[in-house]
Amino acid sequence: MGLGGAGLMLLSLLLLIPFGGTLLLLLWPGQPSPQRLRLLAIGILGLQLAISVLVALRFDPAVGGMQLRELHRWVPGIGLDYALGVDGLSLPLVLVNGGLTLVSAVITRDIDRRPRIYFAMLLLISGAVNGAFLAENLLLFFLFYELELIPLWLLISVWGGANRAYAATKFLIFTAISGMLILGAFLGLALLTGSVDFSLTPVLSDRLAMGGQLVLLVALLLGFGIKIPLVPLHNWLPDAHTQASTPVSVLLAGVLLKLGTYGLLRFGLMLFPEAWVRLAPALAIWAAISVLYGSLAAIAQSDMKRMVAFSSVGHMGYVLLAAAAGTPVALLGAVFQMVSHGLISALLFLLVGIVYRKTGTRDLQVLHGLLNPERGLPLTGSLMIVGVMASAGLPGMAGFISEFLVFRGSIAVFPLATLLSMVGSGLTAVYFLLLVNRAFFGRLAITPATGDTSVDGKLDVQLAPVAPRETLPAIALALGVVLLGLIPSSLGHLSESATTALAQIGVGIS
Amino acid sequence: MPASDALPLAMRLVWLIPVYGVSGMVLALPWASGWIKRNGPRPAAYLNLLMTLLAVLHGTAVIREVLALGPQHLDFGWFQAADLNLRIGFDLSLTNVAALELVTTMSLICQVFALGYLDKEWSLARFYALLGFFEGAMSGVVLSSNLFMSYFLLEMLTLSTYLLVGFWYAQPLVVTAARDAFLTKRVGDVLLLMGVVALAAWSGSLEFNDLYAWAAQAHTQGWITPLAGTLLGLGLIAGPMGKCAQFPMHLWLDEAMEGPNPASILRNSVVVTCGAIVLLKLMPVVAPLSPLATDVLLVVGAISAIGGALVALAQVDLKRAFSYGTTSSLGLVFIAIAMQLPGIALLFLFAHGLSRALQFMGVGSVIACTNCQDLSELGGIGTRMPATLLAFVVGSAGVTGLLPLGCFWCYGLVLNSLLPDAPALAAVFLLTNGLATANAVRVIRSLFFGPVMPKTRRTPEANWLMALPMVSLTVLVVLLPWIMQRIDPVPGIAAFPLPVAALVLLSGGAGVLAGVLLPQESFWSRSSTIWLRLVQDLLAYDFYTPELYRRIIVMPVAALARLILWIDRTLVKGLIDGIGRASLATAEGLKLTVSGQLQSYVLTLIVAILLLLSGLQWVWGAPG
Repeated sequence: MGLGGAGLMLLSLLLLIPFGGTLLLLLWPGQPSPQRLRLLAIGILGLQLAISVLVALRFDPAVGGMQLRELHRWVPGIGLDYALGVDGLSLPLVLVNGGLTLVSAVITRDIDRRPRIYFAMLLLISGAVNGAFLAENLLLFFLFYELELIPLWLLISVWGGANRAYAATKFLIFTAISGMLILGAFLGLALLTGSVDFSLTPVLSDRLAMGGQLVLLVALLLGFGIKIPLVPLHNWLPDAHTQASTPVSVLLAGVLLKLGTYGLLRFGLMLFPEAWVRLAPALAIWAAISVLYGSLAAIAQSDMKRMVAFSSVGHMGYVLLAAAAGTPVALLGAVFQMVSHGLISALLFLLVGIVYRKTGTRDLQVLHGLLNPERGLPLTGSLMIVGVMASAGLPGMAGFISEFLVFRGSIAVFPLATLLSMVGSGLTAVYFLLLVNRAFFGRLAITPATGDTSVDGKLDVQLAPVAPRETLPAIALALGVVLLGLIPSSLGHLSESATTALAQIGVGIS
Repeated sequence: MPASDALPLAMRLVWLIPVYGVSGMVLALPWASGWIKRNGPRPAAYLNLLMTLLAVLHGTAVIREVLALGPQHLDFGWFQAADLNLRIGFDLSLTNVAALELVTTMSLICQVFALGYLDKEWSLARFYALLGFFEGAMSGVVLSSNLFMSYFLLEMLTLSTYLLVGFWYAQPLVVTAARDAFLTKRVGDVLLLMGVVALAAWSGSLEFNDLYAWAAQAHTQGWITPLAGTLLGLGLIAGPMGKCAQFPMHLWLDEAMEGPNPASILRNSVVVTCGAIVLLKLMPVVAPLSPLATDVLLVVGAISAIGGALVALAQVDLKRAFSYGTTSSLGLVFIAIAMQLPGIALLFLFAHGLSRALQFMGVGSVIACTNCQDLSELGGIGTRMPATLLAFVVGSAGVTGLLPLGCFWCYGLVLNSLLPDAPALAAVFLLTNGLATANAVRVIRSLFFGPVMPKTRRTPEANWLMALPMVSLTVLVVLLPWIMQRIDPVPGIAAFPLPVAALVLLSGGAGVLAGVLLPQESFWSRSSTIWLRLVQDLLAYDFYTPELYRRIIVMPVAALARLILWIDRTLVKGLIDGIGRASLATAEGLKLTVSGQLQSYVLTLIVAILLLLSGLQWVWGAPG
């Protein structure tokens, strides 16, 4: 890795640290205790976050294109280069990845089986995600995209819930198909244009007939649509979430889903601008359907985690809407929505995790009155109110400004789809209010699942107190959500040049 | 921006006024969250009182500057991207600053009242934290110079209303009340957001002044179609309709009475005022774009005014008997706004806000001292609670058109403008006035003058922390006509002829008479006459609107959600599991076809390649 990279090779460090950390954990001599492994992982991830912040500091927001680039020929024969770069689209996501993987490691406390592998896989995922966000070469992106798959499969299938085998297999099959479709599209692009250049910069697709472009773009849309996920390709997500442990859910919702939307913007919109404009009206409708479907399905859920999972389906639909509209404001909104959904869904999953750990259930029919100040979970409940309100798009928190930007940027282009998506935003308030009202308001009681009312022990529930260290990550996330909501210009400043440049690609064509 | 550096300090720092309230919340957090337990929650309350006092004083200074220098505008950039420029703007006009003073002063009075009312409440600190947030959002709304900021803060009001109504969240009725308050307002807010987003995209700016200029020309210049204009107008009025509890989004205000009374005082006086002020600011946008929206405002206002007054008459719950009064009065304000009488609407809001607050303080005082809110169990407390009786009478006279308190003059002014052009609307005002007066009189009669009931035999007068704000406000309401004359000296609050005054007096007098003559004993119990009973039930159950809600909105949404769940479980999941099973079955089947014959493998391969190639050929056609 001698070539390219000015000075520090910061971007390579973002790969080196987590991958090196993985090896370090795997090769650590002796039988280190889970606690020591956890601290080690936290240290490594903290370092990674620090480097991400350093990247943000050295990043010049005025430049729309790639920065801090590193290029190294790797396998020239097949066009695979080690090409890294960061722009206003990927930088916020790298920061979110740095923050949320650290949160996942911090909230992993009761790991009893194979802690060494667990933390190694966590680091591996973090590095792979960084790689995917930073890759400037299509094949390199694909490599990292696939690399994240196996560790996550392991995390679900080894440390998951009772039905984990089913969920993990489903996740694996879906995501493997997604990978195949994406690889197929990339290879198809090279094959049809007769080039072995897989670097991101040149827009090759204009050498193709529209039919070819459309086929490749549809393959990409399906591939990334599985990852995002969009209805009806979402089926793996609720199962994966309900079976995954809390830290894995945080990672999955907060970071990994963003690979899909990022890929859509970076490879769908950027590589196939002409075809994108053709498909945009259909995409907007697809987005609206996804939003409404996710929101309505969430209303009917009684498992808190499934509800949050379906809310993800709905909220990621906004990103597709914004990408379809393709205006500068909408695309900035897409970046905002990715970041704020990352923070908010991580917060929600984390809090649901605390509830589950303390009560042993996530069933909304069973839980009541958890906000009880003496015997319940008052702080968790208060943070939950913050989280659901942010998710419902209440101003002053990150969700609002994201949705506002998305809607404001899209309404002139696709009025109907935007209005329908706004209805979805209203429905978010409905299901999350149901969640808070059922589980947190009312009299503290945990109704036995059997419905046997003769057991009146339900009223003297005394939940174990939540230690401050358990809620600290949630407080940090909630603060982040509020800060981003009050000072959105911080993120806007980072991303605006990139999203404007991205929007111009579409404008230039249409 | 005007050279804001030249402005006096109090004006330049006007953004601090909303911040006072919010910082009151932040200061109360250590007590509210239980970090500080040693000295009880009172310090949080005192800190909030201090912050609100600061806001009042700062507001007074700003009023003096505005009187001296004329209206000013202040703004700061908040977020800018591409063609979007979101700003924090303050319009320091006399009306806005007066409304600000109303908000902060009422907040101060209510906070003192709450010290007495919530004397033994264990989570007093949380209440004050929420109240601080509430006050901050309201002071921002009244000063806001752009629609974005107004929307932003209105939503914060929705959130704080939810939390305040849900204050005693362990009670089942509170839970549903908080939910309904939030969701009803949220429906209005989402419709408003649609309007805001569309306006932002079409007009390019969200400053009210730019919007007025844009709306005035939008139709003539063909910037938007009539249909779009109509929809936009309807979206924009939906937000204030929800905030002001207008038909058909009125139920929440009544249910919200489940929350602590001091918050109800604020909600029924100043929160609804905020909603109406936003509507006032929106009216120059709505009126030219959408005549239909204006008509809707008139119809909604009239239905709310008369319907609210009728429903109030049939209630046996003390709180409910008056909560519908707010809906009713705001209906009248909506009519005034829709008829383009902004000055009178503001006066009405001002007079109504103070008097209604006083009325609700009386209600709170009665409930706190008797621990009862069922009118049929209360009676004869007039001699035991003279201060409360005075507050009740003055407050009720203030919200109705009884000489000589605030609303009388407003009624006169409105009628004077409406009688020539819209006699039907004038009749709505008179009818509402008569019904509201009758309601107030019948409640006062049964509360204070009826026979002493078992529950009221030992009722004490309110403690001094409640009595002090109540008596001060009584004085203020009595002085109201004089203050109104100061605020609006031209043409003066008495600028209407004697016959109009006589009409208002007549309607009020008829109401008093009806209230006095209504048969007291049997009034609450359901009549045995079938038609009377039907009417009673219709009114007592809010014209069956809860049931209507359930059938028209709740049930369809729930059914749709169940349908989607079924699709998700059966079709989507079924399909995927089916594919999984099919591939397993095919593999099982293929196991049997493995014959070892090379020819058949080659044949399959060739057929597959041919199919693939012809497919590709079909898709790409002739490469262009």
